[in-house]
Amino acid sequence: MAKIKPADLDRIKAAHQDDGKDWIKVGMSTCGIAAGADKVYEAFVEEIKKRNLDIQIKKCGCQGMCYSEPSVEVRVKGMPDVIYGKVDKEGVMKILDKHVCGNALVKDAIYELRTKR
Amino acid sequence: MIKAKINNIPVEVEKGVSILDAAKKAQIKIPTLCKHPDLPAGAGCGLCIVRIKGTPKMLRACSTPLEDGMEITTHDPEIVAVRRTVLELILSNHPNDCLQCGRNNNCELQTLVADFGIREESFQKFLPETEKDDSTRTIVLDPQKCIRCGRCVKVCQEMQNVWALSFLERGFCTRISPAGDIKLADSPCIRCGQCSNHCPTGAIVELDETAKVWELLQDQSKYCVVQIAPAVRVAIGEAFGYPIGTNLTRKLYALLRRLGFKAVFDTNFGADVTIMEEGSEFLQRFLHGTGPLPLITSCCPGWVDFMEKFHPDMIDHFSSCKSPHEIVGVLSKTYYAQKKNIDPKNIAVVSIMPCTAKKNEIIRCEEMYASGCQDVDVALTTRELARMIKQAGIDFVNLPDEDPDHMLGDYTGAGVIFGATGGVMEAALRTAYFLLNGKNMDKVELNQIRGLEGVKVAEIAINGKKIRVAVAHGLNHVEYVLNKVREAEKNNEEIPYHFIEVMACLGGCVGGGGQPYGVTDELRIKRASGIYQDDHDAKLRCSHENPFVQQLYKEFLGKPLGEKSEHLLHTHYQSRPVYVK
Amino acid sequence: MGQTIVFIKDTGLEGDRTKDFYAAFLNLLRENSLEEKAQVVRVADIGIYNQGLVVKFPEKDVTYVKVGEEDLKEVVAKTVKEGKVIDRLLFKEEPKQLRIVLRNCGEIDPENIDEYIAKDGYRALAKVLKDYKPADVIEELKKSGLRGRGGAGFPTWLKWKLTHETQDTQKYMICNADEGDPGAYMDRGVLEGDPHSVLEGLIIAGYTIGASQGYFYVRAEYPLAVERVEKALKQAYDYGFLGKNILGSNFSFDIDIRLGAGAFVCGEETALIASIEGRRGTPRPRPPYPSVKGLWDKPTAINNVETLANIAPIILKGGDWYSSIGTEKSKGTKVFALTGKVKNSGLVEVPMGITLREIVFDIGGGMLSDKGIKAIQTGGPSGGVIPKEYLDTPVDYENLQKLGSIMGSGGMIVMDEDDCMVDIAKFYLGFCVDESCGKCVPCRIGGYQMLSVLNKITESQGQIEDLDKLKRIALAMQKASLCALGQTAANPVISTIRYFEEEYRDHIVNKKCRSHKCKHLLNYNVIQDRCKRCRVCVINCPVNAISGDKEKGFFVDPKTCVRCGKCFEVCKFNAIAKE
Repeated sequence: MAKIKPADLDRIKAAHQDDGKDWIKVGMSTCGIAAGADKVYEAFVEEIKKRNLDIQIKKCGCQGMCYSEPSVEVRVKGMPDVIYGKVDKEGVMKILDKHVCGNALVKDAIYELRTKR
Repeated sequence: MIKAKINNIPVEVEKGVSILDAAKKAQIKIPTLCKHPDLPAGAGCGLCIVRIKGTPKMLRACSTPLEDGMEITTHDPEIVAVRRTVLELILSNHPNDCLQCGRNNNCELQTLVADFGIREESFQKFLPETEKDDSTRTIVLDPQKCIRCGRCVKVCQEMQNVWALSFLERGFCTRISPAGDIKLADSPCIRCGQCSNHCPTGAIVELDETAKVWELLQDQSKYCVVQIAPAVRVAIGEAFGYPIGTNLTRKLYALLRRLGFKAVFDTNFGADVTIMEEGSEFLQRFLHGTGPLPLITSCCPGWVDFMEKFHPDMIDHFSSCKSPHEIVGVLSKTYYAQKKNIDPKNIAVVSIMPCTAKKNEIIRCEEMYASGCQDVDVALTTRELARMIKQAGIDFVNLPDEDPDHMLGDYTGAGVIFGATGGVMEAALRTAYFLLNGKNMDKVELNQIRGLEGVKVAEIAINGKKIRVAVAHGLNHVEYVLNKVREAEKNNEEIPYHFIEVMACLGGCVGGGGQPYGVTDELRIKRASGIYQDDHDAKLRCSHENPFVQQLYKEFLGKPLGEKSEHLLHTHYQSRPVYVK
Repeated sequence: MGQTIVFIKDTGLEGDRTKDFYAAFLNLLRENSLEEKAQVVRVADIGIYNQGLVVKFPEKDVTYVKVGEEDLKEVVAKTVKEGKVIDRLLFKEEPKQLRIVLRNCGEIDPENIDEYIAKDGYRALAKVLKDYKPADVIEELKKSGLRGRGGAGFPTWLKWKLTHETQDTQKYMICNADEGDPGAYMDRGVLEGDPHSVLEGLIIAGYTIGASQGYFYVRAEYPLAVERVEKALKQAYDYGFLGKNILGSNFSFDIDIRLGAGAFVCGEETALIASIEGRRGTPRPRPPYPSVKGLWDKPTAINNVETLANIAPIILKGGDWYSSIGTEKSKGTKVFALTGKVKNSGLVEVPMGITLREIVFDIGGGMLSDKGIKAIQTGGPSGGVIPKEYLDTPVDYENLQKLGSIMGSGGMIVMDEDDCMVDIAKFYLGFCVDESCGKCVPCRIGGYQMLSVLNKITESQGQIEDLDKLKRIALAMQKASLCALGQTAANPVISTIRYFEEEYRDHIVNKKCRSHKCKHLLNYNVIQDRCKRCRVCVINCPVNAISGDKEKGFFVDPKTCVRCGKCFEVCKFNAIAKE
């Protein structure tokens, strides 16, 4: 691979800016995986494929809310970004049915994170 | 120079000197059980803590260098109280069998406990269940008495480069043992005994064989003869309050007779014979190419063991000549036996050695039985002899001087300097010079190969020929010399040295593993100077001049490297596994 | 569409806890025919605690707290219907957490370097290589006031300066990722969530001190962290952030990974060095400090994961920005692993100077059960417990030390009345005894002796002199141990004695453990007037310690009883007393 130059940093940054697409992000650190995040991730992949949904599925690290793992962040156009906690297979279905396909947030599953960055 | 104050006393030392050593200059003794002058600070025991003004912590005096302007307190109630607690903690993990211990009365822990006036046990006793390891039949490991100061490990790994001893496990279970928790005899241990010499307690001691000797002396059917090694005579006095390095050769002769030995010989005589054989071997190789050069000395059994285990590629370079005490041993049971008309089976030879490895050497291969039976029956260390003297109730200090028994007892100055590093080389060169030149050197002292430098090299011109020699002592210095030889061989260059002397212990035999405790460089130098003084005072200073040696060859051996000499005075070497399975 | 989304959550403390606000809210909407206009979502956690009913309009970023029944009507009438904000109800508190170290954790894919770059990753490295001399980096760090996050809090700029100034052709830079305090996993979180942030810090550090080789010393028990660091290294090499002439500069730097084999003491820098060198992982005396004589006797700087993750933001935003956060002597933020009897256990990053109370109650959401808070343990086995009386202490290096604990690497364990302080001390000391390298006497034997005394105390064999004995050994350990492990191993004992000596005395004199933790001090008895003589306890007792008959009743023989608690569990009538 070609070594990059300082100017390439801008190019890569630009290429990774938010493209407005929908995504689902699963926290896949040890805390998440221990709570079953890998199964949740697989369930999303499988189900999205099955339903032929136009939504990206991504992995990320730990957001710090270890008590609510596995946690899943969802971005769908027209809805606020939310983090669902303690997600299991059933939760995956609910998120896809309601949030992704039904424009409705899932009750009692959202965990708000108040931080300053 | 660094200027500081210790207990308000101004001190000035060179940069890098530890607080512990600097304090000595101010007549302050800071206690320690792990720091030994020979070794870098290990900082294990925690006794040498001191307070430095401006730092809340207490720091270790052994490993903290003195810095400009420091104001140090070495003793105050809190420091002493902490030291006391630390000592008591050590005691809680140390058996109370001082009376039966090999270090009773000269144990560093015992001394400190006495100094601190510890009269009761504050803490619960926790003793590990461990077994003694006497598998080497030379030194005995008693891990229960170990205070984990790490001196032995440092000695074995860093000073001797043997790596037989290491720490196993961790925390409270930490213990000394050969790696893999095997027996010492199956480990790379070369029996040099330096661990026992540096151990502050009785965790590593020489195998005590005095009982064996008492038994032999009691046995009416036995004709017991004894010999003393060069380095013993300048060290034994330390056990009786003599100044360090006092030469007590002739008192020792008297003593050994009183102990009941029928004949008192001197290993120095064997050293003179060694020179005849080894010197001839060298000249043969040097002049006629009968074997590879450099020739490497082999009178140190620790070194022989080390070479066989770690450097077997050097076997061909080794002198096949036996060590001096083995020569005296085999000659006692052949030459002397014949002359005295005694059945060699009834002769018992006891060697008093500065060395623990000698205990192993006497059975190391079949050539040690060249007389038809074991040539040397028992090898005792200087420390064991000191105990025997005390047991026998002999007022050693006031003994008269006596002479050795002839034939195997008289020696030249060349024989005695075997006890110091460089001595074998110096003695050999004196005779080589004579053999090449037909006359003795004008000045027989070779100062460039004396002293405590780890590797000493010299070039001696004899009759237009240049002989390059190297002397190494302390096994961590050997690799350098051997690698130079290997490099030259590999690159087809001229060999860097023609003749190499190696002694396993720092300072040579004066610093041997069987010598009295408390060895330091200062002490090694003093012991060596006692030996050099003996040489200086000798009428004859070259081995070939020894009339008894001349007589031996005339009457018995024929000539150096002759058939009989080869049979009786030479041995062989073999590659040995570093770890015995 | 055109729906307003409303989050609601009853966060307790005020208001009618029995009231179903969710239903009430829905009712109100229905009454006002606003069902279509708003989607009300009851959330599991709204990140605000003890503020009564919280109503949040996430799209507007408007949050109301302590919303009463009447207020709710107004919220519906004004905010839902008209989109107006009700000032009176607004929650104006800034979020307590500030994320610098964890800036990308949970945000980006840790295995994709491009995502890191998209978050301005490696921009600090480029800036340093283009515009900064090593002395400039040191100057910036000095301004920032960043101190080592591994525990001791040594100024990072000074460590780098000392190593930078040591003259040698070969120097080493090491990242210490041998995190091992029980309950602490800050570094794991960063390495797994954003490995490049640490890597970038490490490369900048290498440049600053003049090293050409770096090491990542990661404990082998973190397989996922190791995997992600490995991937990060490969990507950084591919992009040329590592290797020869980084980003076209003259600076070349390589990094290797070394795995720690599980010895806690290898987090101590000299033991860590020994471990990398392939030797037994035991500390050695300092001086010489690693900055003078470190790895393979060469000048070496060692920094903790969290310290290094702070470097890039400091370079990009400036030391002044960083030093504007925190207290006078402790700048920036600190990541804590908040665990124990707290609702929201997890990683939190807070500015220095925040109080313990804020961390536990405002971020952690308060206690897990209704048992009151008793103490907070910080600093892991080297730290101590801080009793609830000191909850309002602002957290920084000096304050925690004054309280007899330490900042440490960031473990923070919340304890309630069920936690026995003697037992806690025993746990931490036991950890250090297990992990002592065995090199020096005070730690090796002192720790073991103290532990045996604590065992005695918790097994009802304690004597009052034992307290002095503990203090005496602790002093020797603190003063005469070689490394920080031994010097601090007694801290949990000393600090619990300092604040909870009464509890120790209770164990020793009254043979009682008020938290019912120490089972040797427990007695199970049958409460006769509650007992229904059903014999369930008798049947379930594994050692047949309960005997009697229906007439006289049943009794527990304390000599036979092994205090397993089975009878207590199985009794349906609460007729077993535990005391």
